[in-house]
Amino acid sequence: MPQPQDAPPSPPSPTASFYDVSDDEEGEYSAIRQSKSNKGVKLLYAKSKVYVHPSASAKDNVAGYIALVEQKPVVGDGERRKSAVTHPPAVAGKSGKSDNNHNLLLSWLPEGSLGDGREKYAKADMAEADSPPHRPDLVPPPPVTTTHGASIGTYPFSVPLSEIYSILFRPPSSGWWHGSIVINTRTGESFPALFFHDNECQSTINQRKRLQRENFDIGSSSGGGMHWGGDEVMKWLKNHATVERSAHEPSLYLVDPTEDDQKAFGLSRRPTSDNVRNMLEGKDKGESSKQKKKEDPVGKALKEARWTVLEKLSQVTTFTRRTAQAVAENKNLPPPVRRLMQSPQVQSMSDEFDSARLYLARWAMSIAEQAEKERSQRIWTARDILEMEESELGSFEVLDAEALSLQDKRKPVTAEEWESFFNASTGRLEKTQLEVKERIFHGGLSKDDDVRKEAWLFLLGVYEWDSSADERKAKIHSLRDEYIRLKGAWWERLADDRGSLEEKEWWKEQRMRIEKDVHRTDRHIPLFAGEDIPHPDPDSPFAEAGTNVHLEQMKDLLLTYNEYNRDLGYVQGMSDLLAPIYAVQQDDAVAFWGFVGFMDRMERNFLRDQSGMRLQLLTLDHLCQLLDPKLYEHLQRLDSTNFFFFFRMLLVWFKREFEWFDILRLWETLWTDYYSANFHLFIAMAILEKHRNVILEHLKGFDEVLKYVNELSGTIDLPSTLARAEALFRRFQRMVEAIDRKDNFPSMPTVRQRLPQPPPSPSNSQTGASASGRERTAADNAAAGAGKEKEKVISPELRMLLSRDIPKLEKKEVREHGGGIGS
Amino acid sequence: MASRKKILLKVIILGDSGVGKTSLMNQYVNKKFSASYKATIGADFLTKEVLVDDRLVTMQLWDTAGQERFQSLGVAFYRGADCCVLVYDVNNSKSFDTLDSWRDEFLIQASPMDPESFPFVVLGNKVDVEDSKRMISSKRAQAFCQAKGGIPYFETSAKEAVNVEQAFEVIARNALAQEESQDFNPDFPETIPINMNESNEGCSC
Repeated sequence: MPQPQDAPPSPPSPTASFYDVSDDEEGEYSAIRQSKSNKGVKLLYAKSKVYVHPSASAKDNVAGYIALVEQKPVVGDGERRKSAVTHPPAVAGKSGKSDNNHNLLLSWLPEGSLGDGREKYAKADMAEADSPPHRPDLVPPPPVTTTHGASIGTYPFSVPLSEIYSILFRPPSSGWWHGSIVINTRTGESFPALFFHDNECQSTINQRKRLQRENFDIGSSSGGGMHWGGDEVMKWLKNHATVERSAHEPSLYLVDPTEDDQKAFGLSRRPTSDNVRNMLEGKDKGESSKQKKKEDPVGKALKEARWTVLEKLSQVTTFTRRTAQAVAENKNLPPPVRRLMQSPQVQSMSDEFDSARLYLARWAMSIAEQAEKERSQRIWTARDILEMEESELGSFEVLDAEALSLQDKRKPVTAEEWESFFNASTGRLEKTQLEVKERIFHGGLSKDDDVRKEAWLFLLGVYEWDSSADERKAKIHSLRDEYIRLKGAWWERLADDRGSLEEKEWWKEQRMRIEKDVHRTDRHIPLFAGEDIPHPDPDSPFAEAGTNVHLEQMKDLLLTYNEYNRDLGYVQGMSDLLAPIYAVQQDDAVAFWGFVGFMDRMERNFLRDQSGMRLQLLTLDHLCQLLDPKLYEHLQRLDSTNFFFFFRMLLVWFKREFEWFDILRLWETLWTDYYSANFHLFIAMAILEKHRNVILEHLKGFDEVLKYVNELSGTIDLPSTLARAEALFRRFQRMVEAIDRKDNFPSMPTVRQRLPQPPPSPSNSQTGASASGRERTAADNAAAGAGKEKEKVISPELRMLLSRDIPKLEKKEVREHGGGIGS
Repeated sequence: MASRKKILLKVIILGDSGVGKTSLMNQYVNKKFSASYKATIGADFLTKEVLVDDRLVTMQLWDTAGQERFQSLGVAFYRGADCCVLVYDVNNSKSFDTLDSWRDEFLIQASPMDPESFPFVVLGNKVDVEDSKRMISSKRAQAFCQAKGGIPYFETSAKEAVNVEQAFEVIARNALAQEESQDFNPDFPETIPINMNESNEGCSC
């Protein structure tokens, strides 16, 4: 390769990157600071249809090109000259790539300013290469700036890479906004956002098609969301500079960061087991400066080393406690991590785990959870959910909350707002049932007033939604009477000696079961804590310990339910379901009927033959197969597709996984049946997806999966889980629609439009014509994965998920499979 | 890693609801007792590394829900068990009466190669409770264990850590013996795939 021969006044190029050694026109392009009249700069890459939006009005948008150009090294710059001496081309390989970044300019040029260069830009835009061309075209040099003037949009600008501190990459969200980037300079200036109108940009469209051909996989952990123009720019930058993502600001990327920058932005602290290991061994710092030079900051070498290291760690049985201690004392760690390490939870966890691999996996996840919780003050908006819906399943991005126009809708419903839903004189609901449910689904009910007392009775079916205040009063009256009657019935049963031996035996057993379970249900809640009255039954195993009035009420309630539903009777887990309802109502009769309403839908969980639980686990199996085939395959390999590890979550609706107040919020959300009467399965999927990478990477057996999932208890962040579940539901709904359309399936009424539909007539085929804008998007998305969609089938179990009808059992089924004493 | 294969002993703990399965396990593994363990739902396990005759083994102790209807889905983890611990509450005769059916159920679900020789251990828990409440005498329990082919029997208190260590030592030793006897049997399948359909058959009555 010929070296530049005739570069008269200038020193040799300070670095020899892989393309400029092949260059033989070195002398002909200009150092643009000096002149505008010289021949030009090398155009390495360009992308069209990149807009500046100077005002809110679309008509002011200015279309242009973003480009990376290389200028000739600046002459007479002492600084540069020195660097040229210390880094002669002979030794400058890839490692020196950042050194020539003052020669590289990231530019934006309005289409109108291109003049003669227009064709060259268009050509560079359409070049489908991953690396710069061997013979880049020369174009007129754009003016260099490190600040931007007041009038944006009309003038081109370009910034030396060496002056760029960071770039904010905001991926697009279809139907909402264009993807954009914002360049921040080292002097602290921000350039106007550049918007990528991907749908107008032929090169982006081509790239998308190519990528979709290559790998369409919703579970793919590599690609991320939909390809957009910003991804290309990222690629250019990564070819020439070190680009690292900030851990604190996931959309922020630092360009050639210094070590201080890295620390400030918590680079490479995304909790992977690699990072965790680095931290454990206290060599985080050294490692990251080495990594800096590599293309992939979470380096390949580390990946290879991981298993050896983990294996070594696992030989040391005292590993967990000792290292946890060391980590807690390591001053290089960010405060949240240190705090976390000192929490009792982590401490006890480290006592228990003898497997380093599991321990690391769990620890990494708990850091992620902690981060999510620390961000938790934010309110999830519909926009966020759309974001999630569009983004890759495995690593949901938490995006900067921008203008939150929908924020109000997500505030909890207060008693005052609740009352405003009703007519002041009749007490009849003036909104639609669906409107109210939407509010509760997204906002929840306030925990600071008594709104739950009343609202839950609607959600649990004790009150009719269309009832008047008087009707409700009458209803509660008669329900109180009925409760007293039922309570008296079992009371007499236990006092008298009537009934068959079998019946008596059953009652005795049930009573003991209830006794034992109530005394170990939610005792950490102040209401149920402590014993301040003597136990009424001296033969009870709790006679010595004593009891309290709320425990006694709970027992009476469960025995009354045992009387009310003798076909099923009390089954373990029911006390968990009753406690929140009782605590909210604190009125035994009212709580009882609320519980009955809840049990109507939960009965199937408790059948003797477990058929209801099987059905739900099977549905979860199908759902995972559809939404995340990659994870499903992995679970299959681990013999875990019985999804038994979700048994507890499904049986008592995550009661053991979330904190008390989160449960109240979660249950009222689920009770709305806003999207689906089986939305709890999407909550389960959301939890699974959150942990998919850990499961894929680290868990190697059924027992490990079970343990890992069990241990999530108390660590799951609810708001983000709800948002993720909603995104998953909508993704599911779109997939079903798309598959149905493809199979020419007579379209089912979707959840959103449950209008009675006219019977499909032959002339009015439902394919195509009726598609609304939104449906078309879904169809497009589906078409993208058409090849893959082929063998996908929507099982009846999955189709059921689109229904809002509560899955209640027939009385007959309960009688046959309930396992109670019968009536 | 050591050249010798790491030994994992799988132990299943069964017994009526509330007899103290979770508490026994926690006392043994974590040396802790809490009066407020919640009723176990589904299944969970704890692991503990112990030395048995100079051999380092990992015990995996499986804890299950006591109400029998929840057993049908949990059979998945009965498979490959090396020992089964049957727990009852000495103050609750019902929990003693059901030991036999727990044993039978286990043998059916786990289907070990040689059911006759499969190791069980019986634990009579809650001996810390005052004598007046005691329903099952040591004699009666011992007679039962004798009749079932000489099952080792221990009276324990998870609350006061009575006999827990001793009982689990025997459990570990018997489990190890069972595991090693399996090694000599080449016919024993390494893993048995479990799936929904299979478990359906057992119970869709």
